[in-house]
Amino acid sequence: MNNVKKALVAALASSALILAGCGSAGAPVDKSDDGKLMKVDVFDQRANYQGMQKGWFAKIIKDKFNIELNIIAPNIAGGGDTLFDTRSAAGNLGDIVITSTGNGRLSKLVKSGLIADMTPYMDGMKWLKHNKASSDALAEIAGKKGIWGFAHQTAAGMDPRKPEAVEPDYSPYIRWDYYKEIGYPKIPNLDAFIDVLKKMQDRARQDTGKNNIYAISLFKDWDGAFMSNVQGLTGWYGYNPQGSAFALADGTDKSTVLDKDGIYQKMLNFVHKAQMAGIVDPESSTQSWDNLGTKVQDGLVLMSIWNYLGKPRQNTKANMAKGVGFMIAPLEGMKAYATGFRPAGDVNFAIALGAKAKNKQRLVKFINWLYSPEGVNDISQYTAGPKGLTWEMKDGEPVLTKLGRAVADDSSKVKIPAEWGGGTWQEGSQQLNFVPVAPAAINPETKQAYNPGLWPSELKRTNALLEDWRSHMENAKTDMDYLVKTDKVILQPGAPFTAPVEDSKLTAQRSQINTAVVANSWKAALSNSDSEFDKHIKDMIEKAQGMGFDEIKKADYDAIDAHTKVCDEVVKEYEKTHK
Amino acid sequence: MALKHGSRKGSGETGSSTVAVAAPRTQMSVLQAAMAATAQPDESALNANDPKQGSNLGKKKGWTPDKRHGFMMWLMTVPFLILVVLFAYYPLFGWVYAFYDYQPPVPLSESEFVGFQWFHMLWSNPTQLKTIGQVLLNTFGISGLGILTSFFPVAFAIALNEIRSKWFRNIIQTLTTLPNFISWVLVYAIAFALFSSSGMVNTVLQDLHFISKPVRFLDSGEHIWIKMLLWSTWKGLGWGAILYLAALSGIDPELYEAAQVDGANRWQQTIHITIPQLMPTYIVLLMLSVSNFLNNGMDQYFVFQNAFNQEHIQVLDLYVYNIGMGNNSLSLATAISMLKSLVSVVLLWLVNTLAKRVRGTSIF
Amino acid sequence: MTTATATNKVTMKSSIKNNNVHKKLKKLKEGAPQHPSDPNQRIRQHSKGENVYNIFNILFFAIFTFLCFYPFYYLIINSVSNNQLSASGKINWWIEGLHFDNYSKVFALDGLGTSAMVSLGRTVIGTALTVIASAFLGFMFTQQQMWHRKFWYRFVIVTMYFNAGLIPAFITMRNLGLTNTFWVYVIPAIVQPFNIILVKTYIESIPASLQEAAEVDGAGTFMIFRKIILPMCQPILATVAIFSAVGQWNSFQDTLIYITDSKLYSLQYLLYQYLNQASALAAQVRASAGSAVNVAALATQQTPTSIRMTIAVIVVLPILFVYPFFQRYFVKGMTLGAVKG
Repeated sequence: MNNVKKALVAALASSALILAGCGSAGAPVDKSDDGKLMKVDVFDQRANYQGMQKGWFAKIIKDKFNIELNIIAPNIAGGGDTLFDTRSAAGNLGDIVITSTGNGRLSKLVKSGLIADMTPYMDGMKWLKHNKASSDALAEIAGKKGIWGFAHQTAAGMDPRKPEAVEPDYSPYIRWDYYKEIGYPKIPNLDAFIDVLKKMQDRARQDTGKNNIYAISLFKDWDGAFMSNVQGLTGWYGYNPQGSAFALADGTDKSTVLDKDGIYQKMLNFVHKAQMAGIVDPESSTQSWDNLGTKVQDGLVLMSIWNYLGKPRQNTKANMAKGVGFMIAPLEGMKAYATGFRPAGDVNFAIALGAKAKNKQRLVKFINWLYSPEGVNDISQYTAGPKGLTWEMKDGEPVLTKLGRAVADDSSKVKIPAEWGGGTWQEGSQQLNFVPVAPAAINPETKQAYNPGLWPSELKRTNALLEDWRSHMENAKTDMDYLVKTDKVILQPGAPFTAPVEDSKLTAQRSQINTAVVANSWKAALSNSDSEFDKHIKDMIEKAQGMGFDEIKKADYDAIDAHTKVCDEVVKEYEKTHK
Repeated sequence: MALKHGSRKGSGETGSSTVAVAAPRTQMSVLQAAMAATAQPDESALNANDPKQGSNLGKKKGWTPDKRHGFMMWLMTVPFLILVVLFAYYPLFGWVYAFYDYQPPVPLSESEFVGFQWFHMLWSNPTQLKTIGQVLLNTFGISGLGILTSFFPVAFAIALNEIRSKWFRNIIQTLTTLPNFISWVLVYAIAFALFSSSGMVNTVLQDLHFISKPVRFLDSGEHIWIKMLLWSTWKGLGWGAILYLAALSGIDPELYEAAQVDGANRWQQTIHITIPQLMPTYIVLLMLSVSNFLNNGMDQYFVFQNAFNQEHIQVLDLYVYNIGMGNNSLSLATAISMLKSLVSVVLLWLVNTLAKRVRGTSIF
Repeated sequence: MTTATATNKVTMKSSIKNNNVHKKLKKLKEGAPQHPSDPNQRIRQHSKGENVYNIFNILFFAIFTFLCFYPFYYLIINSVSNNQLSASGKINWWIEGLHFDNYSKVFALDGLGTSAMVSLGRTVIGTALTVIASAFLGFMFTQQQMWHRKFWYRFVIVTMYFNAGLIPAFITMRNLGLTNTFWVYVIPAIVQPFNIILVKTYIESIPASLQEAAEVDGAGTFMIFRKIILPMCQPILATVAIFSAVGQWNSFQDTLIYITDSKLYSLQYLLYQYLNQASALAAQVRASAGSAVNVAALATQQTPTSIRMTIAVIVVLPILFVYPFFQRYFVKGMTLGAVKG
């Protein structure tokens, strides 16, 4: 019955759709190369720039591969998935495809024949073979054997139990200067933290005469399945979200947004208590990320849930020299969430070969180069840049050159010598925004991390703020160093995991529940009495349950278990090979 | 060229009969002109938009010259009709997506057929029904207020026309269209600067000691429909009035002259000449906005929505966006847009029928 | 009572005048001077009540105009003020920290000139075609004797409510060979049901006597359309032109969907991309956590809001500049007046 209907309706539409193409036959193997200068269309979901790659990076790849990159960026083109939808309807995404892989995206790309298997082109591709773990993991996600792509930020051979980042994403960052002024009080728990923040707020208002300074300021732009601000707070205690659920980094505990004793509601209650203490910005529910960023910059906000809200806006060279800026607070009992090195990389994003591309062998060579130490450095996103230009080896150690130092300070103004391609550093930086190898991974050629911030020569650099902080924080070198020393971090082993394919009906159901959860969370968080808080929580639970939350919960818990399993496997695998 | 030739030939050949037919019609038109001038739309029913009326007079078997002329006229519109078919009807094959679980890049031929799943999803459980109920209430409330105030642009145009100084009038006319060009995102940015707790309005009011605590203009759910109406009126009034300004300048000045001869004052002229003359345009637009009941658009409500006003601000378009967010379900989107098309066409048909009952003549 | 007499007179007048239509038509063809139908040139009787009304009227418009203009003024002063101050909402009345970085960045965008030409081109050509099509179809649909007139009118009108969706629209344009051509901006927009309704309603609201007279004179459909309908419909056609010109000028969705060749980008799309870039960079902060280097630069970036404001000003100014040219068609009014005068 259904088949008859299906055939009928399909026949109606077929005239147009056949022409729309995208047949799923695999791309034929063709190793020929026309040897000409090639304009490579890169469909890049990560890029924040649309157009031709320019400057020194363009010169490097033109000299090496005789290619030019034409970056097609859905982020910039706008309209969400519009560009992806129309280009795939036309049957050609691009010569190189940098795409997200989650929720079946990669398997659909493979199924519809839009990306090519790189297997026939792998001869001599040393660095790609070095990342076999990554292509294997992606093949599993794609659900079909083959080399479909390589992941973002791979770290082949690195320890999945060691933190990948220098700074955790989530930690209580506070304005250290005010914390200093009130005499570095101890912070035994969250209630005490509210008191400390209150004191800091009073102090700051007194110092500046500005009555619109608030310790905590929130925003709504990134809300999805929950209040993103509260989710950030759960990260202080080692939890990571999966759909509408939260899992402890080691997989030993999980709860959902609806669980009364779950981590989400605990942290929601923290915001609520802060609200009652009068330290939450009343504009929190109406302002945007932009507004908040400006406030932080103006010194009107004293706490940052994430490192990337406070630090980039306050910790300028001048401020830090005066001892002003955001630093981690010594909150007792916290367990910041962090991930370990991911040997197979961040499989949520992958670089792949377009099925309709010409000169495929040359393009695979180019991708191979991206994963080589030279390519990784030249990518210069948290890595140093071309050797000889921005850095050099000195006494067996990498150090930044004068130009490299200038780039680290302010990349927009540095002029590049003509023989390197001219222009400014920033103009010529690669615009793919795809980082093939994790910056903290070790460069086999220098035996140091790619990220210059981790080089011994750079770690020696200091300032007033950092010194004061270090003297009160166990003389830790970095944020992560402090957390590790005081056992305030919990690691999730870096495993190749991405959200599984979900029935689109369930996804739609999810969005309806999310709306109810977000709205009630805000109302509860900003309510001025406990009874009001409870009322909104009750409403939230009722609505979400009514719309079938149990199915969501099951899907999320399954995903968490699957993730934990992959983590265990990765650790076992590593321990087997590194004894 | 060929068309032109054809039509000429048509009228040339028929010679005498054209005159014969034309004569009574001219008479009718005089009547029609008089009707229009007296501005009694009810009676213009006499002018009976019945296409047969004209040709009835020369009724014969087969192609009467008049019919032939009418067909030639149709032929002249064919190029445009082809455009309509190509760009409006042809893409409708896409409506089949509503019955599939279509997820690009997987082509439709490999997508799963799901029947009415997407339609059903909108009312699949009691909680959802409750939400949908509230959403529809909001939609009706906001659209209803919009329709109740749909005479604002008419009043605006008439009042503007009463201003004597020409340059002042032109300046007003130009400047009041400005808000129309400011995107809702920016409108919200401005609204935030002015009306947030630390915004200009609250600061000024506090400085003047009118209030002690900031007024929560943006983050309260009270009177949200009215607030939204005020915003959309502010944004659209000047722009919406353009149409009526055009219609105003089309009014035959002799009507006013005649009225003045009879001693009608300005107010009487407005009531008895201006308003009736603007009526046809107004009625047509009113009918269109009734049929557009479900289409509030979402931009305005999206930028102004927050946890505190969401319950009352969520109109259908915003609801669809909210549930479809991060979902990229083209199938669901298609299903909903199909439903909306259907509702709109039915509504248009209803109001048209209603108009026919009341006025004796249909508009569409 | 007064009105009843007035209407009677008018009725009589109209019918009498109609006898003279031949002459008037000739006069029109010869290019008779057109009298403004500006109601303010009407003789006015001033009463006390009217004066009060006038004052209130002017007061209302002054206030409302201020409310409409102020936000735009706000955009202008904020787009040239210090970006940080502007983002914190401190610029309300006057410029602070005057600078033109926001504008110079926009004017330095690659392909700005080309895309401005594309936008200008689509606005001029698209508007011209739409106006002609709307006028012609609007006129044809008033012609009772047109073959199945009602059916075809409805056939066109209902498409107003059709929305096939993104992919079908794209496939259609591709099959018609319109993707990546300039014509994709213009051709699909030619027939606009809403505009046709407007024109049709307008034509219906004016006496049909002229056309009848012309028909008696033996004028063909095209002749009547050109010599009578077009001149008579100036106000509504000016309106249609404004609507469509603004629509064309502001449109960027179609570039996003149908165009990949950057030489065919419309100005709005180019600016939209620029804005997206700023927003994407702002959002990227979120993803780039955990790295000490490179973040300092973010603090000096232009905020998406400041860019949005700049773009709004750049886009609206040309409209403001052109609008007065259309305005005179509203006041100029019907040529009918000339015919009858």
